[in-house]
Amino acid sequence: MFACIHVPDSRAAAAAHAALLDIASAFSPRVEDTAVGTAVLDIAGLDRLFGSTAELGQRLQEYASALGTTIHVGIASNPDAAVCTARGYPGITILERKTEAARLKDLDVALLPLDPETHATLSRWGIRTFGALAKLPAKELSVRLGQQGVHLNRLARGNASRPLRPRKDSQHFEEVMELDDAIETLEPLTFILNRLCDILFLRLRSRGLAALELHLKLKRERPHEPFIVPLRLPVPARNPRVITRLFMLSLEARPPGAAVCEVRLEAIPSKPRVIQNGLFVPLAPEPEQLELTLARIAGIVGKNNVGSPELANVHARDRFEVQHFGTNFGSIERRPHGALRMFRPPLEATVRMIENVPSWVGFSGMHGDIAAASGPWQSSGEWWKDRQWTREEWDVAVGNVLLRIYRDSRTKRWYAEGIYD
Amino acid sequence: MRAALLRAQLETALGERASSPFTDVDKRVWECVPSGIPTLDAAIGGLPRGAIVEIFGAPSSGRTSLALTILSTLIQQGEVCALVDGTDAFDPESGAAAGIDMRRLLWVRCRNLDQVLRSADLLLQGGGFGAVALDLSDLPQQAVRGVPLAVWFRFQRVLENTPTVLLLIGRESAAKSAASVVLRANLREAAWNGMSAVSHALLLTQTHLDVEVLRIRHSRCRFPKVHHDVRLHSCS
Repeated sequence: MFACIHVPDSRAAAAAHAALLDIASAFSPRVEDTAVGTAVLDIAGLDRLFGSTAELGQRLQEYASALGTTIHVGIASNPDAAVCTARGYPGITILERKTEAARLKDLDVALLPLDPETHATLSRWGIRTFGALAKLPAKELSVRLGQQGVHLNRLARGNASRPLRPRKDSQHFEEVMELDDAIETLEPLTFILNRLCDILFLRLRSRGLAALELHLKLKRERPHEPFIVPLRLPVPARNPRVITRLFMLSLEARPPGAAVCEVRLEAIPSKPRVIQNGLFVPLAPEPEQLELTLARIAGIVGKNNVGSPELANVHARDRFEVQHFGTNFGSIERRPHGALRMFRPPLEATVRMIENVPSWVGFSGMHGDIAAASGPWQSSGEWWKDRQWTREEWDVAVGNVLLRIYRDSRTKRWYAEGIYD
Repeated sequence: MRAALLRAQLETALGERASSPFTDVDKRVWECVPSGIPTLDAAIGGLPRGAIVEIFGAPSSGRTSLALTILSTLIQQGEVCALVDGTDAFDPESGAAAGIDMRRLLWVRCRNLDQVLRSADLLLQGGGFGAVALDLSDLPQQAVRGVPLAVWFRFQRVLENTPTVLLLIGRESAAKSAASVVLRANLREAAWNGMSAVSHALLLTQTHLDVEVLRIRHSRCRFPKVHHDVRLHSCS
């Protein structure tokens, strides 16, 4: 048996064709790309997975409803009869064996793959339905229309026999929407992205895949080169809402700068993440939700101000990089230790010395006598670079406040670097 | 009137030994996590999850060290924590020295109070963090005082029934009655190792802190004041 899924709306069919094929692939490994908006799948042996033919038809229609357009499902003993049924009848139609001719007889011959000349000939003969064409003798049709006439006669009877031509499996996941009127604001783009993400992730889900990387390409009116927004995720994602929101946050931070006339969304597929949470393992933020939270915070404080600090492998103070906060965790040994609060950038200070030991310090509205001082601790580095540094550090106590100050040996200036807290 | 007077007299008499002796302890069963400071854990029985814990004190009082110790302890247990840094004052070297695995610490470097509160809101809503620390220490105190109490109560509501501890670090108490635990840090003494006559023979090795328990809702306070020593530099 064969099932055909057909999108009657020709405009929606072009947009949903790739998704339609993927939906069919979710049910059967043998899928034929028959025409734009039409896919045929071999359903032989699927009853053990999906139940009866009627149940399978129902499941197909339910699954395809995510496309947001009307779907017809036709089920018959051969591919061509299934296609004619899906194109001719709304909803789910099942043709039992030997009943094809009787069920198809009322359909319009325009549903058959006719060239204009043959269509005109049939009209001239007064042949307008499948039933009328099926009644014509095959030999006479062969004389007048050649082999095509015989083939059309079999199609009309519903007993054409041909093997299914399964398509080669494609791993290219891309959805495109061309816009009649270019859009200038981001708000309408949300709806378009939602739609494209829904279809793209439906396709991915139907193959048991997730997206690890996505590229949003916006075709602009001027300049013409596309505006590309890449999105690389720490873990494979399957939630279209999160992806839409991440793209919108990215676009809010860096808008396309011109009216958009085409939206193209491409996904690099990956196997979905499978995790088994331990009963006694502390919960960590859910990766997809975490990405969204990080993107939102980046919108508030800036992209470079949110993440995990990673210390640079140098002796210089306050050298670190803020890395993307991921979920690749580890553990290190525990060492209770005091903290230094940094003045970033360091505050220029005035220091008075008595016998080469700081005795008074003042900076940024704070000043006082130094009760105790530890130093100088001299350090230098990166003399081979432009940003070479050389300094002498002191730990000093001003009243109850413990400070770290240093003197830049090159400029001879004093700075307050931080407070021990 | 007489009962109120008696109560005031008793509170004054017990003030040194027990904090808030007449405050009703919340009947809820709190799940607590160790702070990593044994004396503090012995006093208050750990930090309650799903609640606001406030640590405040003057500069160099040790409030940041205490907060980093708590974050380090939670991270050592496999949790993920976040630090919303009000004035970009966090020193990653101090954090690493305190034993924080930086891959498990989300650092949000803010520039003003508005960024702090908005980031904190998003983190608490997102969930999944063992602790979210808000460092309000160097922000203008006028602005911190101006935060409506409703903001802290809203955070408290968001936290309820979650495993997250919201840690507030500041110069003075901000969350007031929205906080379940309020601790005040004081620097008792700084320990300088070596001969005091020669500065380069001195080493600032330790600070000795006093931590005062001002409010506690999740259990009875056993000791109103605890001591804690923090290592700064070592000779080795």
